[in-house]
Amino acid sequence: MPEFEAIIGLETHIQLNTDSKIFCACSTDSWRVPPNTHICPICTGLPGVLPSLNEQVVEKALILATAMNADEISQASFFARKNYFYPDLPKGYQISQYDEPLAVNGSFELPLPEGNSRHITIIKLHIEEDAGKTVYKDAKRLIDFNRCGVPLVEMVTGPDFRSADEVAKFLIRLRQLLRWLEISDADMERGQLRCDANVSIRNVGEDRLNTKTEIKNVNSITNVRDAVQSEIERQMREVKAGGEIKAWTLDWDDQRGVLSKMRSKETEADYRYFREPDLLPIQTSPSAVAATVSQLPELPLARRSRFSEVYGIPEYDAEILTEERSLSDFFEATVAAHGGNPKRVSNWVMNDVLRLIREQDTLAGELGLRPGELAEIIGMVEAGTISSGVGKELLEQVRSSDRTPAQIVEEDGLAQVSDASELSETAAHILEANPDQVAAYKGGKTGLIGWFVGQMMQETGGQADPKAAREILESLLEG
Amino acid sequence: MSAEICELPAHEIVARLRTGDLTAEVVLEATLARIEAVEGGGGALNGDPNGANGIHAYITLAEERARAQARAVDRALEAGDNPGLLAGVPVAVKDIFCVSGIASTAGSKILANFVSPYTATPVVRLEAAGALTIGKANLDEFTYGSSNESSAFLPTPRNPWSAGHVPGGSSGGSAAAVAAGEAALSLGTDTSGSIRQPAAFCGIVGMKPTYGRVSRYGMIAFASSLDCPGPMARNVKDAGLMLLAMAGADAFDATAAKVPVEDYLDQIEGGVRGMRIGLSPDFSRLRYPDADTGELREQVLQPEIEKALLESAERLAEQGAEIVEGVDLPAVQYGIPAYFVISRVEAASNLHRYDGVKYGYRSEGEAADLFELYRKSRGQGFGSQPKLRILMGMYVSGEQYEKRYYERALRVRTLIRRDFERAFERVDAMLAPTTPTTAFEIGGIYGDSVAMQYADLLTVPANHAGIPAISIPTGLDDSGLPIGMQLMGPDFTERRLLRMGRALEQLQESRPPLVQERVGA
Repeated sequence: MPEFEAIIGLETHIQLNTDSKIFCACSTDSWRVPPNTHICPICTGLPGVLPSLNEQVVEKALILATAMNADEISQASFFARKNYFYPDLPKGYQISQYDEPLAVNGSFELPLPEGNSRHITIIKLHIEEDAGKTVYKDAKRLIDFNRCGVPLVEMVTGPDFRSADEVAKFLIRLRQLLRWLEISDADMERGQLRCDANVSIRNVGEDRLNTKTEIKNVNSITNVRDAVQSEIERQMREVKAGGEIKAWTLDWDDQRGVLSKMRSKETEADYRYFREPDLLPIQTSPSAVAATVSQLPELPLARRSRFSEVYGIPEYDAEILTEERSLSDFFEATVAAHGGNPKRVSNWVMNDVLRLIREQDTLAGELGLRPGELAEIIGMVEAGTISSGVGKELLEQVRSSDRTPAQIVEEDGLAQVSDASELSETAAHILEANPDQVAAYKGGKTGLIGWFVGQMMQETGGQADPKAAREILESLLEG
Repeated sequence: MSAEICELPAHEIVARLRTGDLTAEVVLEATLARIEAVEGGGGALNGDPNGANGIHAYITLAEERARAQARAVDRALEAGDNPGLLAGVPVAVKDIFCVSGIASTAGSKILANFVSPYTATPVVRLEAAGALTIGKANLDEFTYGSSNESSAFLPTPRNPWSAGHVPGGSSGGSAAAVAAGEAALSLGTDTSGSIRQPAAFCGIVGMKPTYGRVSRYGMIAFASSLDCPGPMARNVKDAGLMLLAMAGADAFDATAAKVPVEDYLDQIEGGVRGMRIGLSPDFSRLRYPDADTGELREQVLQPEIEKALLESAERLAEQGAEIVEGVDLPAVQYGIPAYFVISRVEAASNLHRYDGVKYGYRSEGEAADLFELYRKSRGQGFGSQPKLRILMGMYVSGEQYEKRYYERALRVRTLIRRDFERAFERVDAMLAPTTPTTAFEIGGIYGDSVAMQYADLLTVPANHAGIPAISIPTGLDDSGLPIGMQLMGPDFTERRLLRMGRALEQLQESRPPLVQERVGA
């Protein structure tokens, strides 16, 4: 029996997070606002209206194209009309791009376990407008035009994925990148990131591409993985049983977790593309591309490698610290302010700061705790000025107040007592009050030192530096 | 004849308002009285095709809107404020422009009930300049025609010079209204000659500006890459005044030109001395496809038009212009076939939005499914002209023909553009007849799509090239029907074209016969 491999390519749609729509001034907010409230004559396609291009859309799309290493960004790309009838497409055509897209020929190195990676080609990347939404209610078809004209980037990959798991990993990386670049909120549940998958199988070792099926309407990364996996398995069963794969378009039902064939009416279309006469070409000068490239931030995967190499932290730490751009900036700024062991900073950020961020449901940059303040707290713990327990409590206090860590420690008297004369006095007092324990210790029960330290801590309200206290107690008991 | 107030040139109305000699309300009432006298009722869905022997220029009258505007102009004048370039001038708006609160029908059943919530940019600008929007003029359905006979609103407009003849199209109601004194000006549109051809047929001035000179925002689209809104007037100076009020960049139209607008009036009396004006054999050698074989046949111009062309050239030469003969424009003969393809592809797409779902006509009764709703609504709502354009547009833009038709037609268009660019290295403007014949009889051509399209043979080259062109009345043929000559110039030379047009125009002394019948000579 031959061994099969899966061949998967993706067509992703990314909603750009511009303030206004691509061809009119309406707000792009279409999530949970009352139907048909963010609309105007232009985005509802009234007779006589014309589109005018929102330049912010081009800027954001260009950022994505450069981040995807597109080596051909067209100096002049063109809009085209994709003609079809549907009630939520009010003009009866979608303004898209066709044979002359914004960018072609990009790539993405998808990291896989054990240091492997998969080279994903980005065949093309173009700009288009979103359609509205159709809602079925009481046997009626209701149309909400709020989403009409929300800007989208369509990005098509090569048939480069070999498993459902790789597809899921790619979508996680893409979502991370889109948020990192601040060009999309990339929430799949809200339709800000959408993914259709083309799936086929072949015998391992073959080069040709067999008939593929297309999976549509999947609205989470988990569902994409499940849908692709179930389609790969179906195709393998079909071929093993001597059947033939037909070029179906499949619809994923996430309630039941099954794929079903879409009606041919919805899939067979000649879109009669032609160049959109109402819009001028998108001019992208080499200098604009160069400026975009130069302003591109360090990308997450590059930052992840750099964190491991430069700071010597484990890959696991680097992965978590670069999941989100604000957190990685926070980590790096803290390391710089701290000046000491980056792994110690990493521990604080991954354990304590991340917990605070989740509790507050915010970003590291908006937490209220500044990297300099965290560095100061870590420094005080390392210097023994405060205990690590006090340090952890300080995080929240600094976050929610205007005082610096040093001020809080000073004003609230949180500093550890490590002053020898002060501690000696307390220690002498404790020994004096507990002659039985002193005798026992001197009789060889040296394990009692822990009990004496405990007494010191109790006596000082937890502010004694345990290490200094122990040393003083030992010298007094053995002296 | 002594001109009635409704027959005054627009520039004279503005001047007399400023001196206090007239008020906007007086002008408006005089115009409404003229409409009452000559119109014989406007076009209506299921109207009587034979009409009442009137002009039938309008679909909708907007008396109340116009009265409110007239009062505002008069108040501004009383207060000493600038009432605008077109203060108190009654304007008929071709019913292809959306005007807020008024039915915007495109002459089609499918939009008969559509009331726009917004106003087209050219209308916004005209109204801001003090113009009075007196009504919406009839037109060929969605502007698809050259005779105005395809409107769903009946009766269709008559040529004021002969009730048995068409006013031309598609801006037929506009041309008829202006010629008959039912408006001083009209806002028309020209995709392949729809301003110039009816202007020529009705003896008025019509200008197609450079593509993008006037915003298309709010103009219901036909062939988006060719459509040009433009002025229609009884004299050249008025056309310049109207263009001045409308031209310029528009944030709502990406294709509206940002080129600064010139003063179209300051040199309008400057004459043509030293200007070089070209004549081309390619505008006299007319090629029509034979209806049976499809082969191209050559036809000559109507003799009176040929004669008028030579007289016009002489007239310009007498005033000091240099006439350059034999300027070749070899690609213009392919203008109509290329236009067939480009306009149909764009029109079919532009008509997609009329689907019975959001606005406009929806078929009555239950539809089995969505696609039946589409089929019925569009089948019942569109007349034969949109259907023909949809069929052809869908066919030639199909996947299998994508490269063979539309892209080729665009290449032909580029060739025509290059012909003109070469010509304009030698001359300042080209002079040609606007139409191969004067107005044809009602029913004479309608129904023969190809022959009807060839009425635009001489006008469509300027649309392909995107250049400005102005049709000027130069007299009457032997049966008393107006003849128009057009001047075509390089991009954004409207100022010079208007100046040439002013030197060429031959204004008729007498009223058109249909008006005479109703109001006297």
